[in-house]
Amino acid sequence: MGRTYVADDTVQKYLSSLHTAGGVCITGLLIGQLSLQRDYVLLSTKTPHRDSDGPGEGHSSSGLLDDADLEWATEHAKQVSQMLPGGMSVLGVFLIVPPELSKEAPSTLRRLVFAIEKHISKGRLWDLTEEDITERVTLQICSKTKKALCRSFDIKDPKSSAKPADWKYQPVSSSSWPLVTCTVALDLQISLPLKSLDDICIKEGLRSWANRIKAAVCLINGKLVADESELVPGQVRDSVGLLWFCDNVYQLILSLEDMGSSAVTQCCRSFISIRGAVHCRAYLQPNKPRAKHAVEAIRKDLMNTVSCRVNMLMEDLLMNEFNDQGVMTGVQPLPHRVFVALPASDFRLCDYVFPDESIADVAERLHEMLDSRVTEESIDSSLEPTHGTHTHTHTHTLLTIHIWYNSCYLDKNLFFICLGLLLAAGIAFLAMAASLIFITRLQ
Amino acid sequence: MILRLGGGLEFLCQLDVSDGKILLASLGLVWPQAVTSCTISFFLYFFLSFSEASQRQLEVSRSFADLRSRVKAESLVFSLTDSALFIWPNKSFQASLDDVDESTACGELLQYHLFLFFPPITCSSQPVVNLRFMMEITEPTEPSAPCLYRENKKHHCIRMVLPMDCVVTVRSDETFGSALSTQLSEMEAVTLRHMKDTDVPVPRPFHFSLPTSTELVTIVYPASVDDKGLESFRKELHNRFELPDDRPYFRRSNAFHFPDEPYKDGYLRNPHNHLNHPNIEGAKPYLVQGVYSYHHYMQDRMDDNGWGCAYRSLQTICSWFRQQGYMERTVPTHKEIQQALVDVGDKPAAFVGSRQWIGSIEVQAVLSHLLGVTSKILFVSQGSELPSQGRELANHFLTEGTPVMIGGGVLAHTILGVAWSETSGQIRFLILDPHYTGGEDLQTITDKGWCGWKGPEFWDQNAYYNLCLPQRPKAI
Repeated sequence: MGRTYVADDTVQKYLSSLHTAGGVCITGLLIGQLSLQRDYVLLSTKTPHRDSDGPGEGHSSSGLLDDADLEWATEHAKQVSQMLPGGMSVLGVFLIVPPELSKEAPSTLRRLVFAIEKHISKGRLWDLTEEDITERVTLQICSKTKKALCRSFDIKDPKSSAKPADWKYQPVSSSSWPLVTCTVALDLQISLPLKSLDDICIKEGLRSWANRIKAAVCLINGKLVADESELVPGQVRDSVGLLWFCDNVYQLILSLEDMGSSAVTQCCRSFISIRGAVHCRAYLQPNKPRAKHAVEAIRKDLMNTVSCRVNMLMEDLLMNEFNDQGVMTGVQPLPHRVFVALPASDFRLCDYVFPDESIADVAERLHEMLDSRVTEESIDSSLEPTHGTHTHTHTHTLLTIHIWYNSCYLDKNLFFICLGLLLAAGIAFLAMAASLIFITRLQ
Repeated sequence: MILRLGGGLEFLCQLDVSDGKILLASLGLVWPQAVTSCTISFFLYFFLSFSEASQRQLEVSRSFADLRSRVKAESLVFSLTDSALFIWPNKSFQASLDDVDESTACGELLQYHLFLFFPPITCSSQPVVNLRFMMEITEPTEPSAPCLYRENKKHHCIRMVLPMDCVVTVRSDETFGSALSTQLSEMEAVTLRHMKDTDVPVPRPFHFSLPTSTELVTIVYPASVDDKGLESFRKELHNRFELPDDRPYFRRSNAFHFPDEPYKDGYLRNPHNHLNHPNIEGAKPYLVQGVYSYHHYMQDRMDDNGWGCAYRSLQTICSWFRQQGYMERTVPTHKEIQQALVDVGDKPAAFVGSRQWIGSIEVQAVLSHLLGVTSKILFVSQGSELPSQGRELANHFLTEGTPVMIGGGVLAHTILGVAWSETSGQIRFLILDPHYTGGEDLQTITDKGWCGWKGPEFWDQNAYYNLCLPQRPKAI
């Protein structure tokens, strides 16, 4: 009893449009949603062409893919997975092979699918649980006969063998996929101790933040809903009293348990503060989604978007440091999340834009990664705030003065305060005396 | 009814980062004001900028001020423990359950508990409503673009979780928000007072029930300073609340015990509270004051059946001193009691580990050696004469209020009180019997009389008895 993969008609169209020249094979990704009963393949995209001076694409003595190709393909998969909103993921890979190379195809596909999964899950802030589906699909298409062979692997078990799976084409529309959105305020403070590495500390800081997110309570439409209860669309009454359906409102609430810990003082060389609001978005399975799926989807998308952005920024800054632009201090904006609907489907994918990039760059990147042309108008950058006050811990405000004048804690300095007051009084007196003498002299 | 708000608030403070900038900025902002303040600030700038410690104190104060503004934010949420109720106190009391709003009586909040905790027969069963505070992170009021701020300066970073614990009585006008703010200010004061260089103690709130006020008083103590170091602070508190100087009210062990929190050690507390007073005309009850735990045979996996009764009575007395705050160490075991007697020279070294009995004199010696407590010894030549000691015992419970150990015949018991009539001389004794070998079952103990009122016939009329009456040390 294998898994069933339902692929959209656009996927079929795309796969049949890919031509291979000569004895070359094409790899690519299958993107969609995993759910308990069946998996939906919504999008497919081929691995972009790698400009290399090495041997021609695909051929090498160690099988259909050499190590550089494998690395390229896994990197492409990671970039694409960062462009997916919550609920959608890279389901697997496809491989279009000429008939004479089809014998090596299964092992290549196996290598590819395990390598991709390993690379995508590196640096992820959450781990796969028992409830997550760990089957990934491999699709082998013969370039001459166009016959497709579908198999699935359990990526949790490194020794798993291929299991046969069903593959069928069916029109899939996004309207039956419930959408979950919310805006979350971030407030992370990471201290970097003296003898530590930047990326380890940042990873540690992100992990402890992620643990709090995992333990957070999620209210749906302002109420605590049982995990297994079905998700119903929200309802709101308007001024006339009519009932309208609206999107559900999700609220995340964090708490901190007092573990009776002691105060930790560390000597640090630097600190990092991450603040601002991020927009989270996730698609749920169309077939009777439960409250727990919605909560999990929001949490995962939140963790993914934050870790992805922070890593992107740190990599960018590291490159600047190498180019001798000096170590970064001060405020750096994190990449901004924009959403775009692909021409062939209703689902919206996302991308991250640095402040020095433009919408045209986004379109270019989408073309390269997902092999589809989008118009600049279809890119929506309004869902996240683009500006705001950067309030960080060391802005000096009147608050400080207030504390200063009201502080009676400076016992040690009471002596100095009295001395200061005395001197001030003395100088005022001298000034007064001097001015009096001066005035009388003038007279 | 008690409304208790708890939770952790993360405190993060970076020391030695500003480098005098705070003072410079303060100077600049103070300039438009009066000239005198300028001169003062001018001099203070020079003196204070040389003082690292005051810089650090300002930075700690700033972090506390940040936290105070945070608890006033709209994203503060209260959640009723073990229920589906969430309240936004700063957002016009929005709640997660439809029929709760500002006007909901606090007593009604109890019904939203998904499962209520019924404590096993409490004497003053005040229901406690436990709220935890949390922060909402979605739908921020002023969303701003996400940014990363980095400062590369060597500094000290202090991180701790402040254990917030506020108690609000229902009748008071004080809202929870201001209660949290007040507690943060108190924590700030304690932290600054006990801060050493870059080490800060964790300020922990304790609640005390005082005879001079009906409401619980909350005091914040630094975790790193023990009770001895806080003695001067306690003196101030005694003055402030007009309490006598001879008995402790503000030690950590005196903290109010909330009815819904079970005791962690498993011993029964004050089983005599579940008994009815004997019905004698003209007799007034004179009882032990405060809390003790019931120690008896076979506890702590120690088989002392037949020889350990006086040891157990001594343990009950020690537990009283511990819970009234006079003793910080744990209740001594049999071996520790025997070792104490060897240490004072009363018994030979072979005594330790033996199963030998002890009497009132030994109890007096151990109390003196381990706790520094003096005790009076009362001697009665015949058990029949015990009722004549009624006045003495009544007086003891009135002034000292400590449990009394009585040994005689072949048995030792603990007297927790007397019901004595001054006119008729009739007397009943409240006895806690250490010879009980069962489990901590309150029902059995009270029903079968292991803790119960006994008449004068309880004593062996011909045997002589020694009573050890521990005296309260005069200390705060």
